[in-house]
Amino acid sequence: MLEPARSLYKYRWLVYELVLRNLRLRYRGSIFGVFWTLLNPLLFMAVYTFVFSVILKGAIPKFPLFLLCGLVPFTFFSTAVQQGSSAIVDGRVYVGKTLFPTIVLIVVPVLANAVNFAIALPLVLILALVLHVHLGASLLLLPVVLVVQLVLTQAIATLLAVVNVFYRDVQELLGYVMSALLFLTPIFYLPTSAPARYQAVFQLNPLAALVDSYQRILYAGTVPDFGRLGFAFGAAVLLALVANAVFIRYREAFAQYL
Amino acid sequence: MSDAIVVNDVSKRFLLPSIPVGATVKDLALRAIRRDGKRDAYVDAVRNVTFAVEGGSTLGIIGRNGSGKTTLMRLMAGILQPDSGSIVCEGRVAPLLTLATGFHPDLTGREGARIELLSLGFSRKEATALIPRVIGYSEIGDFADAPIRSYSMGMMMRLAFAIAVSVDAATLLFDEILAVGDVAFAHKCLRTIEDLRNHGKTIVIVTHDTEKVRAWCDLAVWLDDGRVAGVGDPSAVVGAYDNLVSGLIAREGD
Repeated sequence: MLEPARSLYKYRWLVYELVLRNLRLRYRGSIFGVFWTLLNPLLFMAVYTFVFSVILKGAIPKFPLFLLCGLVPFTFFSTAVQQGSSAIVDGRVYVGKTLFPTIVLIVVPVLANAVNFAIALPLVLILALVLHVHLGASLLLLPVVLVVQLVLTQAIATLLAVVNVFYRDVQELLGYVMSALLFLTPIFYLPTSAPARYQAVFQLNPLAALVDSYQRILYAGTVPDFGRLGFAFGAAVLLALVANAVFIRYREAFAQYL
Repeated sequence: MSDAIVVNDVSKRFLLPSIPVGATVKDLALRAIRRDGKRDAYVDAVRNVTFAVEGGSTLGIIGRNGSGKTTLMRLMAGILQPDSGSIVCEGRVAPLLTLATGFHPDLTGREGARIELLSLGFSRKEATALIPRVIGYSEIGDFADAPIRSYSMGMMMRLAFAIAVSVDAATLLFDEILAVGDVAFAHKCLRTIEDLRNHGKTIVIVTHDTEKVRAWCDLAVWLDDGRVAGVGDPSAVVGAYDNLVSGLIAREGD
């Protein structure tokens, strides 16, 4: 069962190299290069702040910071899942033909986006300091939230990557699903603004629990809700186990469908 | 000398998923209603294969198309894991499988070679040190920095061959490599293989050219429908195989 994880360790240098390549390729030919990682959230922040704070007159104080706390992790999740889910199909020349295992192909885009996330996260910290948020010892819990998100992201990416081999509809659908998820996760609004009967949507969405944790640590300066974070962790582990089992069952059949 | 490769009762079956690819929504709905086609099927590609190769000797694997030769090579290379039985190969194994040159067309030859070397287990530093030797041997010249999509099949094989012989492997696996590339390079490959043999490397070749097996190999394995149909002295095994093939051709002629 742990064999995919073990093989990742064995091929760690290859993974390292492929992650670097992924990052380099993304910004090749652009003037701002890696700065796009910082410019992207800033530009979105400007647009959404104008729409939600100025036009719709939302009442959330320090709205740009509140927004970034949700938007930056969400962007990591959605890009990693979208790139990861097409990774087996995109890497078809490698599948069943090279010594390194197929799981490498899915891990690389997730890790590359994790690196981008790590570059953008200090931006949120700086904004928090500028806006005089009291960041306390709860900041030490940030790595815990990051790990839960990484496990959740990798699990969903792996699961969708396998399904996408057989049904390419996944790739097509995912854009819409991610748009829906962006609005169904309390990133632009407080969960309390939704009617009580819809609260379950947030409770069952592990991503909402993660965004809530980021908001508490980086926006409110408090500790995360451990019950919700625990739920997200449980969901992430469960999905990872399912993804692992599905991947192992079908991996040698991929080549026939690519 | 002791055995360098020990293949012990190895079997490999492939899953043919019952997932209906290319089905329309209507097909899927009908399947769900009728509840048919739910069972996955399997193909036994390699069945209870056992043989051992002495260190420093050359093994030739023969058999008709679809007899499991390539699957066996992939198993020996470690690309696939056997379902049962065991395979032990001494030292580093360098596979050169025609159907399996896993070069991404967008990468340059240099980058592709680097990825190959890293997947053979070299560190980044070792890979950097080996690249000039690989490029030099492959004779692809300026194409080393051109994307692999611009390569001919021969150039691709030259690059793959150069990697396999540059990594100081104890065992080299060659799957039908002599069928591609120009005459001059094929000649160079033959000389290199000869050289590798003289240096005590263990070599496994898969080929349809039974004369080569007779001339080069110390041992032959004949696969038929995933099973070992014959193993031993190359002349005897090749003789039996050729008899069967010419029998099939004669029957077709009737």
